[in-house]
Amino acid sequence: MKRIIGRLGYMLIVLIVSSIAVFYAIRLSGGDATAAALPGSATEEFRQEFRASIGLDRPIYLQYFAYMGKILRGDPGRSITNNASLIEMLKTHGKNSLILGGAAFALVFVIGIPLGVLASLRRNSWADHGIMSFSVIGMAIPNFWLALLAVWLFASTLRILPAAGCCSPKQLILPAIVLAFEGIALTVRMTRSAMIENQNNDFVRTLRAGGLSEWRVMGKHVLRNALIPIISLAGLRIGQIVGYALIVEQIFGWPGIGQALVTAVLRRDYPVAQFFSLILVVLVVLGNWLADTGYTLANPRLRRSK
Amino acid sequence: MNQTVHDELVEIRDLRISIHSEGSFFEVVKGVSLSIRANEIVCLVGESGCGKSITALSVMGLLPADVAGVTGGEIFYRGQSLLGLSPREMRRVRSEEIAMIFQDPTTSLDPVFTIGSLLKEVIRAHRDVSRSEAEELAVRALEEAQLPDARKRLRSYPHELSGGMRQRVMIALATALNPAVLIADEPTTALDVTVQAQILESLRTRQKERKMGMLLITHDLAVVAAVADRVAVMYSGEIVEEASVNDLFDNPKHPYTQGLLGAIPDITARRGALHAIPGRVPPPQVTPPGCEFAPRCAHSIESCWEEHPVLLPTSVGKLRCINPQPYST
Repeated sequence: MKRIIGRLGYMLIVLIVSSIAVFYAIRLSGGDATAAALPGSATEEFRQEFRASIGLDRPIYLQYFAYMGKILRGDPGRSITNNASLIEMLKTHGKNSLILGGAAFALVFVIGIPLGVLASLRRNSWADHGIMSFSVIGMAIPNFWLALLAVWLFASTLRILPAAGCCSPKQLILPAIVLAFEGIALTVRMTRSAMIENQNNDFVRTLRAGGLSEWRVMGKHVLRNALIPIISLAGLRIGQIVGYALIVEQIFGWPGIGQALVTAVLRRDYPVAQFFSLILVVLVVLGNWLADTGYTLANPRLRRSK
Repeated sequence: MNQTVHDELVEIRDLRISIHSEGSFFEVVKGVSLSIRANEIVCLVGESGCGKSITALSVMGLLPADVAGVTGGEIFYRGQSLLGLSPREMRRVRSEEIAMIFQDPTTSLDPVFTIGSLLKEVIRAHRDVSRSEAEELAVRALEEAQLPDARKRLRSYPHELSGGMRQRVMIALATALNPAVLIADEPTTALDVTVQAQILESLRTRQKERKMGMLLITHDLAVVAAVADRVAVMYSGEIVEEASVNDLFDNPKHPYTQGLLGAIPDITARRGALHAIPGRVPPPQVTPPGCEFAPRCAHSIESCWEEHPVLLPTSVGKLRCINPQPYST
């Protein structure tokens, strides 16, 4: 329990540091907010006035405190390109991203773990070699390329799935698989090696000597032990999915947070870019905390330690 | 010692086991014959690597299939061949008829399940009982293995127990289903010296109460002297001498047995030199034409190097030596 709460403290520190980093990075990224928000004919005087009106003329650390204050009060502001409420944008885009990311996250484990278990139980068989080759390919192919291949194959050639769009289940399939692909490949690998490692444990012999079936020994005891490292790295998978969502949402025209963020950066829409970057940071940090909590709960040796 | 009614439970006959690694085969158990009767403790002694543990594992059908296999001989349980059993039949035999306790209790229990769930799982794999009945059986098994606070311990994880307590859990696990034969592979080696005697005592109590046949594998001759009825000495994959514990300790015939006994430090002789058997167990890849022990034997004669000695009956047991010497301390 203490461990979980301790991690919560770390999480806060990470959030504060990364919010500062995001805030500065957006400002350092160059470009001028007025260029996006105002017509090219606007006078320099008017531009100054505009900056002052949204607080851009103040020292950057004051801007940061003012901004964080507003965020904590639940008022992140509005887009400077179309005046849309950021809270409203978060609701619609966030929901879409959660659907896509959640589906991908589930696929990583629902596909990755059984394949890894199968490979470990049929070691050096055709099934094992097949699964491991698939895993190497999965880790090697960049996901934007995989996305293009998938669209070409399933949408253009076979015409069985839509190429892009949101948000029907059919439209979800391709982006979710592409987003999950590398995670699946990694999870297969990890599951296989964790299973093999635990199959050599002494307790396996004890369980067999107890007359338990192989199915029980492998499917219950060895798998349960193998899950500990897999769960502990689930946080990394979340980070990976969040990062890749930027690209995959763009390619498949999936209106999630990643897509909104990319659009905002291209338009130099500071408030949107800043806010959604922060949201992504929160997601990654929260994901890591959840994974760490899961790890602690899955491992009795940590659960009751003080 | 205990020469009461003997009923042969396990009979190992000319057992051969080979290990294969990197494409080459070598024999690590070379024709072992041994029987375990009801209500007796047979000790199998010998240096590490002589094939004791692997012999025991083969009785349980637990040889790691990818590296080792039985290449000859037979193992019978109450007259029935175990080697011919299907995996399902063999699973029934394990822990219901023949149970096994392993050396290291720290790694031999699944760390992510409680003691109770482990015991109940094994009980319910063999007996058609409800959860609560299984729990009662588990508590009784733990109590009989003399684990304090047995009922409370059901909810403990292995890491919350001491080494000695864990070994008691292992004993409970192995005896919960009332097996006729108990195999214990160095059950006290990984424990504190102070705990060793307690565990040994509790094993022996269980064995006597249930009139179990017990195969105790050890290299600790003090343990042998304390509990054994009969002793088989193993060297390089073969049994070299077998006798009752008294005969073996009073009058060891094989030079290797004599060496083992001579290596026990004498507490009364202060600062005397420690005795060791010169040389080491030959690697299994190398099989000398003659006696396996000849290279380390002080009494080897020419024919020891040429012909492989056979295990022959003596007045008190069995011996594999063509030039036995009288024992002097």
